[in-house]
Amino acid sequence: MSFYSDSEFPVRDDLADAHAAQFERFARAGIWGSAAQRLAVISEARQSCIDAGMLEAPEDGGALPDVDLPEDVRAIIRCLAASPRDFDMDTYQRARDAGLSDPKFAELVAIVSFVVNLDVYARGIGVPLRPFAEPQPGTPSRELPVEAVPEQAFVPTIPNPPEGGALARELYGPFKPYIMRALSIVPDEFRAHVELEQAQYVLLPKIMNFDYNHHEGLTRPQVEVVAGRVSAINDCFY
Amino acid sequence: MNPEALVRPELDTGVPSGDLLLEFAAAIIGTDLAALDKARTALAEALGPAAVSGASAVAANFSKNDRVANGIGIPIDDMVFKGTEDLREQLGLNAYKSAENTFRHL
Repeated sequence: MSFYSDSEFPVRDDLADAHAAQFERFARAGIWGSAAQRLAVISEARQSCIDAGMLEAPEDGGALPDVDLPEDVRAIIRCLAASPRDFDMDTYQRARDAGLSDPKFAELVAIVSFVVNLDVYARGIGVPLRPFAEPQPGTPSRELPVEAVPEQAFVPTIPNPPEGGALARELYGPFKPYIMRALSIVPDEFRAHVELEQAQYVLLPKIMNFDYNHHEGLTRPQVEVVAGRVSAINDCFY
Repeated sequence: MNPEALVRPELDTGVPSGDLLLEFAAAIIGTDLAALDKARTALAEALGPAAVSGASAVAANFSKNDRVANGIGIPIDDMVFKGTEDLREQLGLNAYKSAENTFRHL
């Protein structure tokens, strides 16, 4: 059964499957966060958007967190989830001061961004926010790619080939723009970012083919109107 | 497409049903549920029900990307930066707080 079988609007299977997979990922240990910590982070992100009036609280939100996040970490999550235009280098520095290492911070940015993504979609098609699954046992992998180096972002990233080596070639192919490489210090989150991008925006190999229509009923210029308007409202320079 | 309509939505996008898409994009990340319901219905009537899913997916995707970009503090890529001086000025993008993530490297 489709993840969005209650939608009155047709949802492509690959899109529904990508979203279902992401909710399953939330319930597993990440690279740096346990499943319980990840649930606490995404719960805080969702609640901050509900409190801001950007989302409607679901009747069944699913699993509840049993991890208390430090207040300064909660403030960082709330800023990114509900007020991304205000997130800046000072916010990042507060995260570091709160004890988050760069890869832990990157994983937090990833899963906050992903849960907002998934919740915005549900709101768009008029279905309740999907419930969070119970966190599963497991240990964070603590995979830290040695290829990640300081470039120009707050956190180290894996450069494009050839500087990024074999891992860059595996993850990126010949080239990826910074928006895709941004999460490369946490490779599993990078892969999830790519999967969502391909399901929701355009298949990346076709990104320069402006005659290719990834969404039924929408031409590429129409897609760009939606994308550009959202980013303008969020004051996103990128 | 007229990019100025992305920051001044009263302008014509130059894209079929662009006004409906602008309204939907604002409503899906806004706080007025009635406005979203109205924009969703109008979009479905104009472009078909599948377009609601597509537009929601794109809006969701860029909700993600905006947070990843601002959260990780990435600058825009050189090849984009170099070709967009006039457009950035026209749209007022250089005044965005997140522009600092690019300008601090110049």
